[in-house]
Amino acid sequence: MPDTAVLTQDEILDKTREVLVEALVLDPEEITPTSSLTADLQAESIDFLDIVFRLEKTFSTEDKPFKIEPGELFPDNLLENPEWVQEGKLTDAGMAMLKERMPHVDFSEFDQDRNVDKVAANITVGSLVTFIERKLST
Amino acid sequence: MKFDLIDTVLEQSPDRIVAIKQVSLAEEYLADHFPSFPVLPGVLMLETMVQAARRLLSNRGETRLVLGAVKGLKFGSFVRPGETLTVDVTVTGSVDGTYECRGKGRVIRHNGGRPDETAVSGRFTMRPIRRTLPDELMRPQEK
Amino acid sequence: MRWMWIDQIVELVPGKRMVAIKNVSLAEEHLHDHFAADGSLEPLPVYPASLMIEGMAQTAGILVGAARDFKEKVILAKIMRATIDCDVFPGQTIRYEARVENLDNAGAATTGVVSRTEAGSGKWEVIGHIDLLFSHADQTMTGIDVPEHNFVFGENLKIILQTAGLAVSAKR
Repeated sequence: MPDTAVLTQDEILDKTREVLVEALVLDPEEITPTSSLTADLQAESIDFLDIVFRLEKTFSTEDKPFKIEPGELFPDNLLENPEWVQEGKLTDAGMAMLKERMPHVDFSEFDQDRNVDKVAANITVGSLVTFIERKLST
Repeated sequence: MKFDLIDTVLEQSPDRIVAIKQVSLAEEYLADHFPSFPVLPGVLMLETMVQAARRLLSNRGETRLVLGAVKGLKFGSFVRPGETLTVDVTVTGSVDGTYECRGKGRVIRHNGGRPDETAVSGRFTMRPIRRTLPDELMRPQEK
Repeated sequence: MRWMWIDQIVELVPGKRMVAIKNVSLAEEHLHDHFAADGSLEPLPVYPASLMIEGMAQTAGILVGAARDFKEKVILAKIMRATIDCDVFPGQTIRYEARVENLDNAGAATTGVVSRTEAGSGKWEVIGHIDLLFSHADQTMTGIDVPEHNFVFGENLKIILQTAGLAVSAKR
C-alpha cells in the first residue's frame, strides 16, 4: 500500500469515492466533491459508522493507524447539550462548537438556518477529503 | 414457525410488487426476540421482501427462486406487534437467470401516535436453487 | 418456536473470532413451507438464506457482545454484503466463522465465512460470505424507545454459552 502521508488530494478523493461506492451502493459517477452525503447520496446515520470504519481501514498503514474518534468526522449526539441546541436550532455556542470540532465542513450557509436536523447535510465528499488530508499530515 | 410472511398483496405490476406483513404477538418467535421487547427480526423484513420478489418473479415462469446475495441492506425503525410492515420491491435487472431487486419496507403504525417510518431498505439478488457450488466458484476445501 | 439459529459455539475469542454450527433438520417446521408442494411440484426443503444471515448475525453479535462483557445492546444495523453461492438441505450442517474487523463505542463491523458439510463427512466447503455492521444501541439510537435493560443478551445466550463451556459471569 502506498505511504499514505504522501497521497495527493486526487488520490484521497479516489479512495474516498471507492469507500462511498461500497458503503452507499452507488455508481462512482454519482459521487462528486460537492455531493452532500445526506442530501445527495442518501446516507443515514448508520452509514456514517460504516463509512468511518471503511475510511479507517483504507487509510491505515502498519506504522500509522488511521483512527477516527466518535464525533470527529460526523456530528453525534448534538441534541444532548442544551448549551448547543435550543428548540431545534443551534445556539451561538453550538455554532462555534461545530466550526471548531468540524473544521473540514463549510458551515457558512448553514449559519442562516441553524436547524439541527440539517447539520449533517453540510457534510460533502469534499469535506471528507479535507478531513482525511489534515489527519494524514499530522 | 410458519414461513409464509406475505399477508396481502396490495399492488402488482410486471416488475414491482407492494405487499404487507402483519406483526402480532401471536407469532411465537417474538417471545425470544426479544423477551420484554418484541420486535420483528431484521432478517424477517428481508425475508418478506424476498417472498414478495419470488411472487413477482413467478409471473415470469420462475418458480422457487431463492435469495443469493444482499448488498447494503440497512435497518431503520423497529416493527412492533400491532404494527404492519409494507414492502415495496422492484426488479431492476436480470443476468443469467439471476434477478437484481431493490426493496424498501415501511412500518405502518395504526395508533395515530408516531408517524410511519422506513424499517428496511437495500438491494438483493434472487437465483435458482443450487445443490452444489457452480463450477467457477469451486473453492479449495477448508482444512 | 425459538429464535435461536445457532446450535453450538465451537470457538470463541471475545472481540476477535467465533465459530458456531447449526444442524439443519427436517424437524424444523419452517422447512415445510420453504418449500411446500405447489401444483405439480414436490415439497423441496431448502434452508432459507435469510436464516443463514441470522445465524451469522447471532454468531457475530455474540462475538462483539463478548468483547464488552455483554453490557452493550448489540443490534444488527446493516447487512453490508452477503453472498450465498450454494444452498443447504436437511441432513447438512452449517458452520459460521465470524471475525471482528472494527469495534468502537458506536458499534462494530464483522466479516464472516459460511461453510456446509454433509453430517459426518468431515469435509467442509465454503458456500458464502456475510459482512455485517452492528450498532451499540444505547450509544447510537437516541430518540428511539429502546428499553433500559439489555434485552439483547438473555437466557438463550446463557444456555448456548454454558453448553460450550463458556459460562459468563455478571462481573469480571
